[in-house]
Amino acid sequence: MDHDHTHTHAHGAGAEMHSQELVEHEVAPNAKSLTTFAVLAVLALLALFIGFSNLGEWKVVANLLVATVQACILAFFFMDLRQADKLTWLIALSSVFWTFLMFLFILTDQLTRHLGVL
Amino acid sequence: MAANLKGPVAHHFNNLNQQLTTVRMGMWMFLVTEVLFFGGAFCAYTAYRVWFTSDFEAGSAALNVGIASVNTFLLLTSSLTITLGIRAAYAGNPKGLRNYLLATIILGVAFLGLKGREYQLDYQEGLIPNVSVLTPEAQKVVNERIAKDPGKADEKVYPFNENLAVVLHHEKFKGEPFVAYDPFRVQLFFMFYYSMTGLHVLHMIIGLGLLTWQYILACRGFFDYNARYVYIEAMSLYWHFVDMAWMFLLPLLYLAGPHSASQALEQFKVAIGLASGTH
Amino acid sequence: MTTANSIGTDTPMAIPKLDYTPQMSPEPELTPTEQREKPNYLNWQYGLLSWVLTVDHKRIGLMYLVSVSIFFMFGAIAAGLVRTNLIMPTGAILELDQYNKAFTAHGTIMLFLFLIPVIPGVLGNFLVPMMVGAKDMAFPKLNLMSYYVWAAGALFFVWQLTVGGLDTGWTLYPPYSSKYSHTNVLYAGLGIFITGFSSILTAINIIATVHKMRCPGMTWGRLPLFVWAMYATSVIQILATPVLAVTVVMLAVEKIFGVGIYDPTIGGDPILFQHMFWFYSHPAVYIMILPGMGVINEVLTCFSRKNIFGYKAVAWSSVGIAVVGFLVWGHHMFLAGQGYFLGQVFALLTMLVAVPSAIKVFNWTATLYGGSITFQAPMIFAIGFIILFTIGGVTGLFLGSMGTDIHLHDTYFVIAHFHYTMVGGMMFAWQAGLHFWWPKMTGKMYSDFWSRLAAVVMLVGFALTFLPQFVAGYMGMPRRYPNYPPEFQIYNVLSTAAAYLQGIGFAMPAFYLIGSLFFGKPAGNNPFRATGLEWQTSSPPGPHNFESLPQVYFGPYEYSVPDGLKILNDGSTNGVHSNGSANTDKGAAHGS
Repeated sequence: MDHDHTHTHAHGAGAEMHSQELVEHEVAPNAKSLTTFAVLAVLALLALFIGFSNLGEWKVVANLLVATVQACILAFFFMDLRQADKLTWLIALSSVFWTFLMFLFILTDQLTRHLGVL
Repeated sequence: MAANLKGPVAHHFNNLNQQLTTVRMGMWMFLVTEVLFFGGAFCAYTAYRVWFTSDFEAGSAALNVGIASVNTFLLLTSSLTITLGIRAAYAGNPKGLRNYLLATIILGVAFLGLKGREYQLDYQEGLIPNVSVLTPEAQKVVNERIAKDPGKADEKVYPFNENLAVVLHHEKFKGEPFVAYDPFRVQLFFMFYYSMTGLHVLHMIIGLGLLTWQYILACRGFFDYNARYVYIEAMSLYWHFVDMAWMFLLPLLYLAGPHSASQALEQFKVAIGLASGTH
Repeated sequence: MTTANSIGTDTPMAIPKLDYTPQMSPEPELTPTEQREKPNYLNWQYGLLSWVLTVDHKRIGLMYLVSVSIFFMFGAIAAGLVRTNLIMPTGAILELDQYNKAFTAHGTIMLFLFLIPVIPGVLGNFLVPMMVGAKDMAFPKLNLMSYYVWAAGALFFVWQLTVGGLDTGWTLYPPYSSKYSHTNVLYAGLGIFITGFSSILTAINIIATVHKMRCPGMTWGRLPLFVWAMYATSVIQILATPVLAVTVVMLAVEKIFGVGIYDPTIGGDPILFQHMFWFYSHPAVYIMILPGMGVINEVLTCFSRKNIFGYKAVAWSSVGIAVVGFLVWGHHMFLAGQGYFLGQVFALLTMLVAVPSAIKVFNWTATLYGGSITFQAPMIFAIGFIILFTIGGVTGLFLGSMGTDIHLHDTYFVIAHFHYTMVGGMMFAWQAGLHFWWPKMTGKMYSDFWSRLAAVVMLVGFALTFLPQFVAGYMGMPRRYPNYPPEFQIYNVLSTAAAYLQGIGFAMPAFYLIGSLFFGKPAGNNPFRATGLEWQTSSPPGPHNFESLPQVYFGPYEYSVPDGLKILNDGSTNGVHSNGSANTDKGAAHGS
């Protein structure tokens, strides 16, 4: 990170006019965004197809699988997670992990509450 | 394609790169709170769905999956348009940015419009637990039941339960009779339906408000400093999250129960007034 | 005025003779005239709007200080009502429903409007940017919004408490809160919901500041442990608060519609509410205590003139508490109807969460050992913290084990336990921090005598208030009861008498601290000779904290390394290790 040891900052309120040129992260071309959209749309159709089908108790599993894939694609490509730094990955994954912890404990209770004394 | 960025640096930052990465990080952290927020609601939903699977499926059958399907594609397209808007901005096309922002807003408003129509239909069908009164058709059913067996005249009548029976009777599922369900547990399902879609709607309204504000700023030249596109990126992160929440709401709420494509089409036609519907 | 020195320049500045090594070259001490004339963050802008619209983290910290103190007073008054009522076994001054409202008000105000916001809002805001060497928080405007959101929510909540009250207990359990209570559950819940946003925004600010705005040389291993503690607290706030938000929203939906997801008549489960509520509320107690533990690190090292023992252990134990604290909430629900299997899991994990706290206590004790200890007010509070928090923590083990909790749940044992950790722990850590950094925030020194006296009065009053409650609880007196069997009266009377003493103790700082603003001596940059970055600037600090971008060379607690200053003075980098600490105990160049 570039910084300037001897730089003193003016005490003015509001933004200063540091105009800096620097090279930003790569911006994906439009074709990539459209392809991602197409994939997401196909997955949405797939989800609907599964919803209208006769899979019975596997319907929800299949649907959640599709939704998870959709969420990953959305996060990687539209939310730029694929090119983000490790800290952003840590933040994103920790949210998933903590939600998983909540599910784990609460569902364990819902499923084992009537089991009696072990 | 890489972009060279110029823009004012706030007084407390040392350089532009620090400012931009911090803004993105801030929004990602806010999204963590949103994940946990919706996650809590999904967790509660899952807890009950595990216990009351067939009742929740019955409740899902009474939802308007036609509107939900169309809404899914509206929201997905709005995710595309905001992404294209950011790309356009970095490519040096501020007009493209404004147009794509406007397109996102329009798609979002369309989503809300259809959602409002969906809630209106729910109200007309009398499917609000504890609040709805008997619809005329349900009233007829109750009267017939009492006429057949006068001993039931003193029984407490739950309007939601009666209205639900009428709605489910009308939804034809490949000609098969619907499985047995406990209408009270379906009330529980509907509380989740209203709460979770309601929270989603609230997040969309806030998002649309912010998008509109950014559109106005864009028209005023605020984003002429291209470093400021980071704020649109931050906005897009939020908007994509709203889309992601819907991706999970759709299968869990709408696709849980038995549906068919023709039913969905019929429901959508009712929604936009092309068909009268049976109630 | 000379600017701060950096290694290798030709003109060494005249560094005063110090008995400690500051993290960066100290800015020169100002003469009283210079100090008076130099603008600081309090006087460089005047006018109401400059305060109302400020984005300066230091001014926002002061605004939190004033507001939080006022709400603390309300909570204390509610506590006074509760304790006074309990003098008589049949209730002395309150009707039954008034008593319910009184203890609910006490609990909610103290938790949501005092314990959770106090250190993050006051000391966190004021100090974290300075401790990392930044000019402000990462998002200054968000910081201001966080304050206003909190103040609005808090005012709304207190208003609801006064116009009808809340009688559900701070835990808001349905179905009482959703179906049967006639009090303002919906709006009070809304107030809590709003204040939750403030928690989240402050946390986002702190994490972003610590990650992105550390000055050159400030590695993670050189951060003051207060910053580590604030960071861990912020992580908890971000992950836990939204779950409380959604739980309260679902409760509100139930109040509005008349049925909801916790309603047993439609298949709902009140225990699910408890799960979701405690998923937040147990980590919440770590939100409350971790900042306090962070303060203790700073105070103990300064007043024993010694480096912290086991920096890494203390730093990572903060993270450990934050993570493991999310896995233990079921110990509040052993008797609620939670399954046995999960109860056993939670009991085991609760034993585990005690370990990081114990690590801290051992490290603090080792820090004290061999130090040159002086007993100014912050140190009295800090040592009191260690003793009282340990008692509180140890009694928590009885509650965390399912077998003993059957006997102790919902008794005064629980109340004594959490007051020992929250008041004996957190409150006194807050007092320690307030007294330690008051000279920095205001530039004035308070009376040494009165502060020490107040500390002793508070500690003695507190300890005597809650010690009888352990006994009463163990003997079976239930909590939240306005009436009780006469055999418990002696404990209640003792407790109430001591509570009044405690109240006097809490009122005392108001006098000498506010008095110091008018009559106190100017404090100077560093009245306690502490090593942190915040102590190297003027008291009160200038509007942008540092004259120029700080450069950090040393760790945060180099109290025993006066020869480290040679490096600053003669520009040589011999003997500076990669972690920045000077080469001392290896018996090398400086021959100390």
